[in-house]
Amino acid sequence: MSAAAGTLDAPRRAVTMLRLPLIDNIWRVRGEVPLDPAMSASEAFARIDPLLRTPGTDMTEEGGVLTYTKHNPAAQDKLATFTRGRMWVEQAGAGAVLRFDLFSHALLLCFLAPLLFLGFAQMANAINAWEASGAEAGAKAEKKDDKPKEAKKLHPIDQFLGAPAPEDPNKKKDEKKDKGRHSPTEGYVIAGIFAAIYLAGRWLEPFLLRRRLRAALAEPVTT
Amino acid sequence: MAGVQVGKRIIGADAPVTVGWENIGKVEGGPVRQFVFTWFQPVMLFAAIAFWYYAPNWLAVASTAIAIRLGWTVLLLVLEWVNPRYQSWQLTWKEFATDVFYVALGMTFLRMIDAYIGDGAIIEAVQGAFDWEKFSWFTGLPLLVQAVIISMVFDFGQYWMHRGMHNWYPLWLTHAPHHYITQLNVQKGAVGNPIELFLIGLGIGGFFDFLPRAFLLAGAIGMTVSVYQHINVRFNTPAWWRFIFNTVEHHSVHHSQDYEATRSNYSGTWIIWDRMFGTCVDGEAEVLGMEGGRRMHIGETMIFPFREGWRDGKAWFARRFGGGKGGVMQPQLEPAE
Repeated sequence: MSAAAGTLDAPRRAVTMLRLPLIDNIWRVRGEVPLDPAMSASEAFARIDPLLRTPGTDMTEEGGVLTYTKHNPAAQDKLATFTRGRMWVEQAGAGAVLRFDLFSHALLLCFLAPLLFLGFAQMANAINAWEASGAEAGAKAEKKDDKPKEAKKLHPIDQFLGAPAPEDPNKKKDEKKDKGRHSPTEGYVIAGIFAAIYLAGRWLEPFLLRRRLRAALAEPVTT
Repeated sequence: MAGVQVGKRIIGADAPVTVGWENIGKVEGGPVRQFVFTWFQPVMLFAAIAFWYYAPNWLAVASTAIAIRLGWTVLLLVLEWVNPRYQSWQLTWKEFATDVFYVALGMTFLRMIDAYIGDGAIIEAVQGAFDWEKFSWFTGLPLLVQAVIISMVFDFGQYWMHRGMHNWYPLWLTHAPHHYITQLNVQKGAVGNPIELFLIGLGIGGFFDFLPRAFLLAGAIGMTVSVYQHINVRFNTPAWWRFIFNTVEHHSVHHSQDYEATRSNYSGTWIIWDRMFGTCVDGEAEVLGMEGGRRMHIGETMIFPFREGWRDGKAWFARRFGGGKGGVMQPQLEPAE
């Protein structure tokens, strides 16, 4: 293999000064799939070519390394999650492997999404607190409407069918503490959901990628 | 492509659209699958109505509706997995995560803004200005009648707002991003520019004084009917249902890449509004989207109306008043005197 391609341990980097040994696992996926030792690199690339040759994808092959970039891939693009990456063939013991080193905008954004929604939850809390401080001044001026409200009745058909009667509007409800008009709960729950989606995607997408690469490599090139 | 004449229009001249119920796909598979995907829609509709009709007051509250909605969405996602309508609409991890983002934005940030400028605020202002007690006789009507009125009145508003979006350029700019979706899945209804989601949510049903239970029943009809607008599930929908209710078949025609087809099936729940106003096309489509199926990512969806509005506004000013830079429309300008 070419020195320009780097290895899995010392990959070629776009920004050579930037070294993020562990944290980049958030958005980078590295791995390998086994290859028939008799298969040449160009044959392997030819076999995975249909997987990559989709609208909005630029590909170059230089020094035995296949590099691709995707610009807003289609929803059904099999590699839509991995917007750019490199692949190369490497000898491993008696056999050979196709190694890949891919970058995913989607995984990175999904990882960051909980922060955004935690931010919205904090915003809800802040607005509630701000409005509560303003309301205290206005509360004294508020008029109390003590006029008894008329209780609503169900239509006879609904009474016959047994629908529960509406609540008496004059019945005193438990005076709950006013929590403000915005709820932060949704923000917290969604932050948790995105954390779960990220973890699922970080496992699922590399799994599907390896499966698709193996399937593509097993398929002879049809001309 | 030749297309098919529907009324005075040719549907399917630009992109493939199947017209006519006799030509659409059917549920394939064994008797169990046939049974489930034939009866699922009506059974769920009547189950939801029965639940909200008989649920005791302590249970018939908004938080129950939210919990049911969540479980319902998960169930529909499972159905998409089990019996997809088209393989080309299969949900992927990335599409799912993207859809959840739009839904989540609607539940958090947009809801906060809506509290100040949405229909709730408008209704409050209007209700304060008039004596709406005159409408209190509504609450004496049978519950289901109230629910159907709420649902139909709201959908009538949506129909005209939606039709307006397809016919008036400034409104279209807000709605266009939603038409860049290239497949229909359960949560795709939330995909779009936030301004559009705000506009389409403006309802007039809230002006009238209905019983709370009637609102919950109307919500149940929406949840078990209009939810199927965006879904990748093959159903054998009953003929009576698709005559009065909107379906994914209707809505896939609306999302087709065929221009004339998109100018049909505007309603959300009650397709009879389209039948009454002459915009209904019965059929289905698989190839969806704009610009040949270009996917619009989240960033572009957020800025699209502003970017295009700015560009076209600039061009319009240049055309109208002469001089200046005409932007994209400059070549068509009359030479300045």
